[in-house]
Amino acid sequence: MIRPNSLPRLMHAASDRPLTLALHEAAFASSTSVTSLLDELEASGLTGRGGAGFPTALKARLIREQRGHNKFMVVNAMEGEPASHKDQTLLSANPHLVLDGAEYLASMIGANNIAVCVARDNPSVVNHVGRAIHERTRRSLRGPKLELHTPPWRYVAGEESALVHWLDDNESLPQYRPNRPHILKIGHGPALVDNAETCANVGLIGRYGAQWYRSLGTAATPGSTLVSVTGAVDHPTVVEVELGTPLRSILATAGADLDPQAVLLGGYGGSWLGASHLDVAYDNESLKPVGVSTGAGVIVVLPRSACGIVETQRIVHWMANESARQCGPCAFGLPALAEDLSHIAHQSRDPKAAHVRLVERCAVIEGRGACRHPDGVIRLVRSALEVFTDDFSNHVRGSFCNGTRATRHFATVPSLEREEELVWE
Amino acid sequence: MIALTTPYLWYTTRATGMVALILFTLVASLGTLVANRIGGTIVGRFEINELHRSLSMVAVTFLVIHILTTVLDSYVATGWISAFVPMTSAYKRLAVGIGAVAFDLILAVWISSLLKLRIANTTWRFIHWFSWMGFATALVHGYMTGTDSRSGFGLVVVASCAAVVACAALWRFFGRPTRAAGRTALSPLATTKAGPRATRATPVPPRAAPPASRPFPTSPARPAKQRGPR
Amino acid sequence: MGVRRRSGSFVLRVNPILCDGFGHCAELAPELVQTDEWGYPILRSEPVPLTDAGAYESARYAERGCPRQALHIHRISEKKPH
Repeated sequence: MIRPNSLPRLMHAASDRPLTLALHEAAFASSTSVTSLLDELEASGLTGRGGAGFPTALKARLIREQRGHNKFMVVNAMEGEPASHKDQTLLSANPHLVLDGAEYLASMIGANNIAVCVARDNPSVVNHVGRAIHERTRRSLRGPKLELHTPPWRYVAGEESALVHWLDDNESLPQYRPNRPHILKIGHGPALVDNAETCANVGLIGRYGAQWYRSLGTAATPGSTLVSVTGAVDHPTVVEVELGTPLRSILATAGADLDPQAVLLGGYGGSWLGASHLDVAYDNESLKPVGVSTGAGVIVVLPRSACGIVETQRIVHWMANESARQCGPCAFGLPALAEDLSHIAHQSRDPKAAHVRLVERCAVIEGRGACRHPDGVIRLVRSALEVFTDDFSNHVRGSFCNGTRATRHFATVPSLEREEELVWE
Repeated sequence: MIALTTPYLWYTTRATGMVALILFTLVASLGTLVANRIGGTIVGRFEINELHRSLSMVAVTFLVIHILTTVLDSYVATGWISAFVPMTSAYKRLAVGIGAVAFDLILAVWISSLLKLRIANTTWRFIHWFSWMGFATALVHGYMTGTDSRSGFGLVVVASCAAVVACAALWRFFGRPTRAAGRTALSPLATTKAGPRATRATPVPPRAAPPASRPFPTSPARPAKQRGPR
Repeated sequence: MGVRRRSGSFVLRVNPILCDGFGHCAELAPELVQTDEWGYPILRSEPVPLTDAGAYESARYAERGCPRQALHIHRISEKKPH
């Protein structure tokens, strides 16, 4: 039985095997009857858990108002962030909660199709979701059509427009969207794209109502959320936390280093947060004044023994390679940032000039891509410049930094088989 | 149909044909300069582009005069249809036929360029590639029709035009400035629309395996309630 | 209905995916467009409006002259987007 003011909610009844439909229905039984789903969703104040934090009800209402008879509800479980495991964990524990939410959202917007998108590189998760979909379709053929799609995993493949473009045209390429708001379309049908965890939260709201949902969390950011904690932890963990919990206690629960040098919040396109701010509450309203956001629920813990600049350089190098290479400023600018950071991190070839160039290039590249990939990297670099100011001065001056000799790295970056060649035609 | 018998029509045909060939040679060279991003310091890049566009209009004008005079001239039996449909001319069927092919291609390029702002850029570029083929067929037509081109001055003109455009083509395809692509087709994420170059991109880098012992936060084992001071 | 005067302000926008860094825009409208070190125009997602007729004309030249048709002049209407 789920109680209102307690956790776990999303991970209720979770075990090491995913819940079957019958077990899910039993564990999430509810006596509440929700009349108008969209109004309930609006009242709940749920915001997106994929990174942008946009109010879910607003998005749904926008798609609902569009004309089009072949609407799509897209569940985004791509989880492009390498440091994030929450969606995989959620889908491996209880895919039916996510599918519940997807069905609620589909009925809100009037969609006949639900496309669940999971990265194909994770066969066990694909398997779990596939089985769950099979169970549901076997139970009832009414309702929207559930489809499983498995795009290849890339960082930008989880971006909204790239995901929709995959479904439409089989390429995970982010699209140029100058109009605000931009309605994504698959074929002629408007599409609503929501993160898997957001859908799971909708699943809870649809069963238990907005009032129940708001009994946890803060007024501005209600509910609970899943957080992936990596870096200086015993083992990479996913914890479910109430929004508004102090960051330090989240680190404690996850078994992370309790005296870190800094934490990276949001994802590899997020921001570093210095050790002095670790008592801040973990919700977007409280984090905004310190210049960070919860983003995709990622926390990377950096211990004092590591070098923040080296870690940032590794991330930026990988992110530069993950560019879709469609836009010049990103295709050229991000590798240039990685190179400048490398000069500073490894103290080679005039780090002072590299530092100046780094700041200039951030200003030049900002806001000029079709998607927000370069902006995320710039946000990361700028936060590093702010949080690791002393380290930057030391590196530029030529002082020794023991973090650069570290063999263990804390920001997990998938290895590149080979740098992808950038060729012009 | 007006059929004129003055020899000046015939001379005009030959002259305008040769001039058109020379002009199209210049147009192709300018086009290659635009594609290879020449200019910016002494001459503006947009100036080269505008020159390319303007000169192509002049070249098309000479081409149209060349065709008109050929059709109107009763010295050679070519009807209106032979300007567009290959192999319908009584006079030098193959040579004029190839000329018709060249004209069709150039007409397509010209019309698509007039409508450039109204059609998609990808469509325009696809048609524009055919300008090389248009030139090649025009060259063959020029040589085969042969009144002037088999000897002397005419041969020099045809040969030099061929040489210049051949160099331009080589430079266009092999001497491009090497820089990272802004081209979607070359993106490592473009899987299905792969051009020949896209296969050089690596396959998707393997994702780091999810950590082996990832505990699911189950309620009894873990104090999940995280209330802190509000 | 009578003649309606064109109202609203205009901005020059670039589609960064179509843009291939030819740089003709920076030559045709130097007061509106500068290029970065890699040759791409510096036009951000928050665009600078075209304030007078001269700017609008330069923008039109740039829009027409772009080899990839990556530039467009958008009209910003006075209606607020919802």
